[in-house]
Amino acid sequence: MEHKRFELAMSPHVGTQQSTRKIMFDVVIALLPALAAATWFFGPGALLIVALSVATAVLAEYLCLKFMKRPVSFAFDGSAIVTGILLAYNVPPGVPWWLPVLGSAFAIVVGKQAFGGLGHNIVNPALLGRAFLMASFPILMTAGWTAPEEWRNGQDNPWETNGIVQEELLEMPNADAISGATPLNVLKQSFDLDKSAALADEEGNHAEAAELGARASGIRHALSQKSTYLNLLVGRRGGCIGETSVLLLLAGALFLIIRGVLEIRLPLSYLGTVALFAWVFGGSGWFNGDPLFHVLAGGVILGGFFMVSDMVTTPVTPKGRIIFGVGAGLLTMVIRRWGGYPEGCSYSILLMNLITPLIDRFTRPKIFGEVKEND
Amino acid sequence: MTRARTFRGGTHPPGNKGLSSGKPIRKIPAPDIVRIPLCQHLGAPSKSVVKKGDTVIRGQEIGAQNGFISLPTHSSVNGTVTGIEDYPMPHRRSGPVVVIETESEEGGQIFEKWDDFHDHSPAEIIERVKQAGISGMGGACFPTYVKLSPPPDKKIDTLLINGVECEPYLTADDRLMLERPDDIILGMEILAYTLGVQRCVIGIEVNKPNAIDVMKKKGVTVLPLKVKYPQGAEKQLIDAATGREVPAGGLPLDIGVVVQNVATAAAVAGAVRDGEPSIRRIITVTGKGVSSPCNYDACVGTLFTDLIEESGGYSGDVERLISGGPMMGIALYTDGVPVTKGTSGVLALSPQEVRDIAEGPCIRCGKCVDICPLKLVPSMIATAAENDRWEMAKEYGALNCMACGTCSYVCPAGRYLVHYIKKAQDAIRSGQGEGA
Repeated sequence: MEHKRFELAMSPHVGTQQSTRKIMFDVVIALLPALAAATWFFGPGALLIVALSVATAVLAEYLCLKFMKRPVSFAFDGSAIVTGILLAYNVPPGVPWWLPVLGSAFAIVVGKQAFGGLGHNIVNPALLGRAFLMASFPILMTAGWTAPEEWRNGQDNPWETNGIVQEELLEMPNADAISGATPLNVLKQSFDLDKSAALADEEGNHAEAAELGARASGIRHALSQKSTYLNLLVGRRGGCIGETSVLLLLAGALFLIIRGVLEIRLPLSYLGTVALFAWVFGGSGWFNGDPLFHVLAGGVILGGFFMVSDMVTTPVTPKGRIIFGVGAGLLTMVIRRWGGYPEGCSYSILLMNLITPLIDRFTRPKIFGEVKEND
Repeated sequence: MTRARTFRGGTHPPGNKGLSSGKPIRKIPAPDIVRIPLCQHLGAPSKSVVKKGDTVIRGQEIGAQNGFISLPTHSSVNGTVTGIEDYPMPHRRSGPVVVIETESEEGGQIFEKWDDFHDHSPAEIIERVKQAGISGMGGACFPTYVKLSPPPDKKIDTLLINGVECEPYLTADDRLMLERPDDIILGMEILAYTLGVQRCVIGIEVNKPNAIDVMKKKGVTVLPLKVKYPQGAEKQLIDAATGREVPAGGLPLDIGVVVQNVATAAAVAGAVRDGEPSIRRIITVTGKGVSSPCNYDACVGTLFTDLIEESGGYSGDVERLISGGPMMGIALYTDGVPVTKGTSGVLALSPQEVRDIAEGPCIRCGKCVDICPLKLVPSMIATAAENDRWEMAKEYGALNCMACGTCSYVCPAGRYLVHYIKKAQDAIRSGQGEGA
């Protein structure tokens, strides 16, 4: 008897419509609204930086794969585009054009391909690229802030770079170091003034202490006047290219949730921790911080929804994800409050990335029907 | 109606049951030649007790039970044995079959008919279930009589009848419940009597409302279950029905439960009431690769080729031929394999139905961890297995995996997770993990 022959394969024989490629392009789509805001507030220059960064990422990925004789199709799976966008979103809008190119290439070559490519990188490539730029070009990376809408309104724009009245700025110590700053930068300065005030107080210089203290609260007051919640929500403030428009970033996150791509435990535990910590320690005393300001003013919305929730570099276990989010939240706030940088989002994520394998190992879910041996 | 219950985890593959769910069971005659496998059940194959040239009658034992976890095998026709040969099997590469040239299918009463099973002791019924060669017909093919003989220290309080049929495409159990509910109910009563249990429930997914209605009208306690794969897996069914977790590495009887498939219950009724051994079963022949999908009542030893022909042959390209459902079924390289007691479906999938994705690297999305019904970490087991790290695979629960396929189904990278985990299981069981 003649029998037809068929192909053999392991079960299951059917599967989801979802694919790595679709997930990556969903993330790209989710990141695009914030790009519109960046272009609106920071000008076409921001758009150019993102474009250069993405092009470099894809090209670097393609060349790496080609050089290593691996399938070059990986270069077009969308993951390099995501890395390119995220890197550009994490640099100030005023940086020279070659900076994102360098960062993006570093992110892909060292951060991703050196570890084996997609799925094998230990830390978030875009954040590693940013850390590389911070270490190599600290001045460019901290001085390139552009005031919102400056490109359209010229120098006499209604928005000071940082949302602070100019007179206050001039009175600040190290004023040139923060020429052009982000709200968190300004907040950091006010805390430094607090520190100086405390020091003066100890030395018995009470009058100077009182003056410094008054200036610190003056700056905080001015900050709350200019950096209103509305401005922070729409992104009318100084900051990295992609981090400012909270509303549009949230819209992208919502899209990812609807598409079933975003794991919600990570961003929620992260932002929750940031908010709680900000309330307890974020003010001048205890329990008088402004959690909403801390969540809206820096990069934690971008970080929480697009980098803390990066699949490759975060735990796979449900419990591990919460630990990751809480840990990254704590580190972010410790850096913001007591560390050397005004913003701790990216370093906190990088540090947590490093212990992700460990978290996974110690949070293995209890197997169905598993009984402890001494039970 | 009470709210449908379920378990944690799982996924929702498209059901595709509409292809065959409306088709009544068609009893088809035995083909001219039947090939009856001697290894249709889990455990030791039965030992052939006939030889070439022997005349056999329908229901006659042609293979003897060969050990505790083993069963006898019976002829499904009257005819002449023309040989015992190695033949391709639906569940393994090949195995011995008894080839019988069919003369007729009538008569052949071997076992006595028992009008009222209450006249017989549970021990007698267990012996009959064994003699009739009944094995679990839901897929695992475990000898049923063994499940009915729990050790004396295990108190059984619940009998669960599995009418879930969570595998997409398959409708054999659904049709059986609609068309032969009395057989199932009698089987249920016999099983409950044999086990000495009061609590007897039939679990059915809510995508089979007619079957639920039929069973309810007959006065059976129905447990409606949410449509979710793998709701019909033994442990998940028990979890949904009783809230009890079968201990890892343990058996349902450890927590006082016995689960039997609806087709098994019907076969038990046939064995006790009619003295019928297990030589026929209901099979769904479906998929977009066959011309007219249908449900058949066919005898063991019928070739898949015959069933496909009954269904009007293949239609268009057939990408894959499967014995069973699309989630756990086994891909076949030929349709020339015989129906066994455990064959629930023959699936001819068109290229559009089969998942077509090149395997990519794990992007650690964690979907498999979220949906694993046994709470394993499939991605980690697979990665460990790819690197021959058997100890690590074991630590992440490789041995607990039941190969339900949910993880592979949801994996966006298209990884062959079940394949890797099975590889790890084989390696661990064969002792490769030790001394590493």
